[in-house]
Amino acid sequence: MRTLRSVASWFAPVRPESRVAILRTVLYLFVIIDIHLFVRDPIPLSRHPELYKPLLIERLFHLPPPSVPSTMALYLILMVGCLVAAANVLPRLAGGVVAAAFTWWTAIGMSYGKVDHDHLALVVALWVLPTVGVIADRWRSVERSAQAGWALKCIQISVIFTYFLSALTKIRSGGWSVTSWPESSILMWAIVRRPHGLGQFLLPYPELLHLMQWFSFTAELTAVVVLWLRGRALLAAAVFWMGFHVFTMAILYIHFAPTAICWLAFAPLERLGPWLRRVKARRRERAGRRSTRHPVPVLRDQAVDSGG
Amino acid sequence: MGQRVRGISRVSYGWRIAATVLGVGLLLNGSLRMSDDLWPFGPMSQYAFSPAKDETIVITRVEGLLANGRRIDLPLRVESAGISRAEIEARIPQITADPSLLRSVTDGWTSRHPAELALLRVWLVQDQTRLVDGRVGPKRLVELATWELPS
Repeated sequence: MRTLRSVASWFAPVRPESRVAILRTVLYLFVIIDIHLFVRDPIPLSRHPELYKPLLIERLFHLPPPSVPSTMALYLILMVGCLVAAANVLPRLAGGVVAAAFTWWTAIGMSYGKVDHDHLALVVALWVLPTVGVIADRWRSVERSAQAGWALKCIQISVIFTYFLSALTKIRSGGWSVTSWPESSILMWAIVRRPHGLGQFLLPYPELLHLMQWFSFTAELTAVVVLWLRGRALLAAAVFWMGFHVFTMAILYIHFAPTAICWLAFAPLERLGPWLRRVKARRRERAGRRSTRHPVPVLRDQAVDSGG
Repeated sequence: MGQRVRGISRVSYGWRIAATVLGVGLLLNGSLRMSDDLWPFGPMSQYAFSPAKDETIVITRVEGLLANGRRIDLPLRVESAGISRAEIEARIPQITADPSLLRSVTDGWTSRHPAELALLRVWLVQDQTRLVDGRVGPKRLVELATWELPS
């Protein structure tokens, strides 16, 4: 019984609902950025039906081939849905609509030959966030729940698995060998193909590139540990992975923004509201003190500084 | 803060844990056995292969001949051609078999560059860089397909 309870509390720990409310706002607004900056090609791609090759998910649900009207409609649904859901209004309905629409939108973007895997955590987040349902007082909620904890845990697992599974895929593609990917010319290949970043300065040093490959491969393979970290150790891991993304962005021009933003599922976002209120109160207090320090008329012939 | 705890039933716990286990299982299955077709449960395949020390690295491009005889690069990006390099690279066999598929690039480029002269002909080309013992070696330009635009 005790084991059952501890399994349940690992998968669905009791966590503040305000964290989910804040994460909803951030992620739904991020989706709006995403469809303009990252998966921004479904509308132009839908003009080329001859290049469309539906993924399993699209065949399974008999989704019609994308057309300009259908992708435009998806775009509008996403815009409206995200704004409503970001306000934590109708969280199940708006959130469900956004989850389905964004999954379809992203699937379309990946149905013309190139499949990216930086959207796993974001897609999972969009499907689990609505399950928490209505959060009373939204960002100011003082309630905690296992429902909130489960949604956060699913996002955390997806973030970490994005790294861990990519290490497994590397072992698999190298003929089930642990050394073939770290010893390969993959970074050289990536830099030659994307010659815009700082990586071009590393081209003369293949040994250094191999060292970087070993480093990132080891980090990815051991990333699962993060799911059991707490406090400062967790903060250190988050800082490390943010640094990793900044680094790959600088040398290869590859961002993993949709994964990086989902790291917020680890953050104690619930402290944001009280912290903001404290800052505001302090500022108000200081402003109040300053206003009383203004020269005030006095009965005698000399003005005095009341605050002095 | 945060003292009140919302209740949760056993069924609610049950389906949540089952869904997580199922999702993790699907993801492991995707990365260990399946192909990109299974997205979002496919393998994390970006940059996950192992190029050899003598690999030939290719950059696929499309070049166009303008009506004034100038040959220019038509950048394969969404904002300049309506389609990106990865999509074209994924369809190289189809394009070499039927070069008129390059229409996907010329249509996108023409509609985004209304002030430019008309395109007469386009080439699908590759800048090939050969690695020699893991270092950058000789480069060459290879033409894969040519398509005359209907006038």
